[in-house]
Amino acid sequence: MKEYNVVGHSVRRLDAVEKATGTAGFTSDMKLPGMLYAKVLRSPYAHARILSIDTSEAEKLPGVKAVATHKNTPRELFNTSATMTFTVPPMVPVLDQYIFDNVVRYVGDEVAAVAAVTEKIAEAALKLIKVEYELLPAVFDPLEAMTPEAPVIHESHKKNIPGGEVIQIPYGDAEKGFAESDLIIEKTFKVPVQKQAQMETQAAVAQVGLDGKITVWSTTQTPHPTKMILAKIFSVPESKIRVLNPPYIGGGFGVRIGLSAKAEPIAVALSMLAKKPVKIVYTRKEDFIASDTRHAGYVTVKLGAKKDGAFHAMYLKAILNGGAYCSFSCETPGVLGCMGMAVYRIPNQFYYGHSVYTNTTPSGAMRGFGNPQAMYPIESVVDMMAEQLGMDPLELRLKNIMQVGDPWPLPYKCSSTGLAECIAKGARSIGWEKRGKLNKPGAKKLRGIGMGVGTHCSNAWPWCGDYDNAYITVQQDGSIHLATGVPDMGTGTSTSLPQIAAEVMGVGLDKVSITFADSASTPFTIGSHASRTLYAAGTAVVEAARDARKQVLEYAGEFLKVAPERLELKDSVIYVTGQAVGNDCSGSGVCQTGESERKSISLKELAYNAHLRNKQFIGVGRIVPDNAPPWHAHFAEVEVDTELGQIRVIKVAAVHDVGKAVNPMIVEGQIEGGVLMGIGYALSEEIKYDEKGKQLHDSFHKYMLATADDTPEIDVMIVESNDPTGPFGAKGVGETGLVPTAAAIANAVYDATGIRFTEIPLTEERVFRALAENRK
Amino acid sequence: MLQDYLFPETISEAVSFLKSNEGQARIIAGGTDLLLDIPEGKIKTSCLVDITRIPELSKITLEDGVISIGAAVTHNQAANSELIQEKAAALAQAASCVGSYQIRNSATVIGNVCNAQPAADTAVALVALGAVAEIANPGGTEYVPVEKMYAGVGKSTIDSASQLVTRVSFPAAQKKQGTAFVRLHQRKALALPMLNVAAMVALEGGKFLWARIAMAPVGPGPVRALSAEEILKGAEVTPEVIEKAAQSALEQANPRSSALRGSKEYRTSVLPVLVRRALEQAVANAGSSCK
Repeated sequence: MKEYNVVGHSVRRLDAVEKATGTAGFTSDMKLPGMLYAKVLRSPYAHARILSIDTSEAEKLPGVKAVATHKNTPRELFNTSATMTFTVPPMVPVLDQYIFDNVVRYVGDEVAAVAAVTEKIAEAALKLIKVEYELLPAVFDPLEAMTPEAPVIHESHKKNIPGGEVIQIPYGDAEKGFAESDLIIEKTFKVPVQKQAQMETQAAVAQVGLDGKITVWSTTQTPHPTKMILAKIFSVPESKIRVLNPPYIGGGFGVRIGLSAKAEPIAVALSMLAKKPVKIVYTRKEDFIASDTRHAGYVTVKLGAKKDGAFHAMYLKAILNGGAYCSFSCETPGVLGCMGMAVYRIPNQFYYGHSVYTNTTPSGAMRGFGNPQAMYPIESVVDMMAEQLGMDPLELRLKNIMQVGDPWPLPYKCSSTGLAECIAKGARSIGWEKRGKLNKPGAKKLRGIGMGVGTHCSNAWPWCGDYDNAYITVQQDGSIHLATGVPDMGTGTSTSLPQIAAEVMGVGLDKVSITFADSASTPFTIGSHASRTLYAAGTAVVEAARDARKQVLEYAGEFLKVAPERLELKDSVIYVTGQAVGNDCSGSGVCQTGESERKSISLKELAYNAHLRNKQFIGVGRIVPDNAPPWHAHFAEVEVDTELGQIRVIKVAAVHDVGKAVNPMIVEGQIEGGVLMGIGYALSEEIKYDEKGKQLHDSFHKYMLATADDTPEIDVMIVESNDPTGPFGAKGVGETGLVPTAAAIANAVYDATGIRFTEIPLTEERVFRALAENRK
Repeated sequence: MLQDYLFPETISEAVSFLKSNEGQARIIAGGTDLLLDIPEGKIKTSCLVDITRIPELSKITLEDGVISIGAAVTHNQAANSELIQEKAAALAQAASCVGSYQIRNSATVIGNVCNAQPAADTAVALVALGAVAEIANPGGTEYVPVEKMYAGVGKSTIDSASQLVTRVSFPAAQKKQGTAFVRLHQRKALALPMLNVAAMVALEGGKFLWARIAMAPVGPGPVRALSAEEILKGAEVTPEVIEKAAQSALEQANPRSSALRGSKEYRTSVLPVLVRRALEQAVANAGSSCK
């Protein structure tokens, strides 16, 4: 395997010191002169029409500078997600939201907002707004919402299906495939609402200049598309809007691909009314109830196999709860289907899936984007099939997993896979051979081992438009400046992209600085999501760096009087390939004039030399990324306390084919975090509603995220298959950590208890009931 | 509106500060509940009387076989005390379950009791240990069993605007006595218990001399499993006896359904398991094991 100077090394993150010392900038820390604070009045009802709204008392409260409602804000339909900016025809983006509407569609929906000189006054003013509601019938379950008697949530979407969009993906002949199968297993699973629970809540600061220019600092994962959404809402040219992170985001996990819920448009609307900068920071409760969640829903898997274990047909169906507004509800079922169909070589498949509007918090993008909802059911059924066939589930998987060059339903190629190696390594780590031999007869605490595998994407194409740009400028002292529009939401972008730039340019990482996540000073990118940042933006950085390097070597060729192809650039020195670096004349002044015979020159000297001759090296990378599948195998060992129903995860072995780990430490961190999120998805995380549609889990206190104390041993291992399409062979890794985690845990619980759970999370009570039922 | 923050140096000074403010002042120790309740408007006070600088209140002492925990003793102090671990294991275990490590560095054991949440972990342990609170009133000192400090759900009999609990005291476990605390929770930190149970047993010659069992949240405060205690008294230490006692704990328990922390049905089903485990551990801590 090729050794690199900067790429492939676990260098310390460039943001480590500022984050560890609390000096790193976040939206929620911002303060501008004269800045006002915003608070939002939210609907207490799941579905109601606003008959009247009286803000006069609130406006009279001293310190209140603006009150915004559906009456004095733009009546321009939009979609809070970036989907409205990159949905490619013939598909049409669903636009179903206003900043404020005269109908509220879930508990927490925006009714009005106040800007005041303090947060406290804004809060007090909310209580003075009088709203008269006419209650409308509400529906919370997607299956109920599809019935003819269900209330219509959006007039223009009659069957409560956002955009009327039902995704059907045929591949081969599923009907024939099942007819030819020796064994068929069908099962329906129910998956819960999970929350991103990122550290920083939704936040934005908007400043509207007298010249009409708008600057928005916010928590968005996509500054450039967010600029486009705001331009549409406020009918302002995109060139007059600047959206940026300041410069970091406290996590994202998909919750702000596009707008940060409605933080940006509310801040802009109030800033326009008040003519002052306005800041809005969601409380944790607002973040829980009024920003996108993972899609809950029902997923059916029907799998047909031949006697020898070869999978022959699969039918996959997903009905997802989209919540009150569309957001990513058209795309998520698509990715669920595509990812579910791509893991195994199955010649005959059919996928049917869509979302359904209900009167719950909107569902949108969350790490995994439909894939965990596919793989928990699929991997459960694969284990059931292995049992029916009398095969080792590991062997059954090895027999059926996708190989390079295999035909599959996706419009790009299976360009690399290290999945077999992942499975082998994970099995060794967990001790797969112990499976089935862990428990003594009569034991009250039962151990079990299970596995799950999966794939994912490395960017958003073909589900939407996807392209990226980057600039590299060689500064006059030979250091490198990189400009890229993608944010760093904690994933390490602002370290790993400079690593790539440094490697291609032939300089040390200390010579590279990066400007990122700013629509005004960086070229367009669709942002950080779809596990794409390193893969897609990294490809643009490679292109920009190659361009700049080419310019450097051409100029150096003239300077050294050598053909540029004969030159190398390494450690910031340009030299003739094969010849010793030396003959350094720095300080003599001769070099700058180029009068002496030289075999090498430092980049610093060359850049300044070029500068004195009126030239700068500027590299531009403009790329349309390919796509590539990362692969992963997770193995879990669990212990089930059968008297209490409680599950403890003892260990997770997570082996990931990431193509190439540009920064292994960052990659391991991503996977560990994903695994923990997957454990939460499997065991404890869920937002439930009461009968009136109120969210029962609306705080960190109530929502059961795993804590550090709950973290089991996680053995992360990296497999590098060097994908031909990715930068330095890299593939996406941001989301993969939680894709097969719930599957592996559920399969381990089955191994321990003999109970196949078709609903997660596996809470104490759910498990206890099933165990009691099983004993009967 | 908070206007004053006072640091008394003695107990009597603290009580006189409360008195002179005529109900407008309030005791603060760890502040982990109070500092949330004040901004939310749940508690109104104009003056906080901080007792953490009164030297004797920060101490854990053993005198004549009696352990005392001062009002400023934090959860981590109690959990990490070798004396408590050895002579009142139930309290050490309970104290190590509250909130998170950071909260336990600040929150006090007596604050946990006075906040009067139905399943306050240390209160459950203290009831099983037979603890008595020493209360400084304007008129003098009063002694009240921790078990009697609950006036209702979330309501303490203590008025922190006029009274100060100075310490709680309980007999140290003697030879052949053991204590234990068990807790059912949805995660290992920052989670209220779905159920918690504490037990103290005294053994002699293979029999239970007596047992004290407290459980929660199955009533407004920690509830004594009196039927179970009755069954154990004088009975042989056997798994069958313990199981019978554990089942009978349901006679005094009235758990409610919580949308967040388990249905009544579930809590009822698993309470005997927790009581049994608490008894088994207490017996083991007493230096015996049930044959």
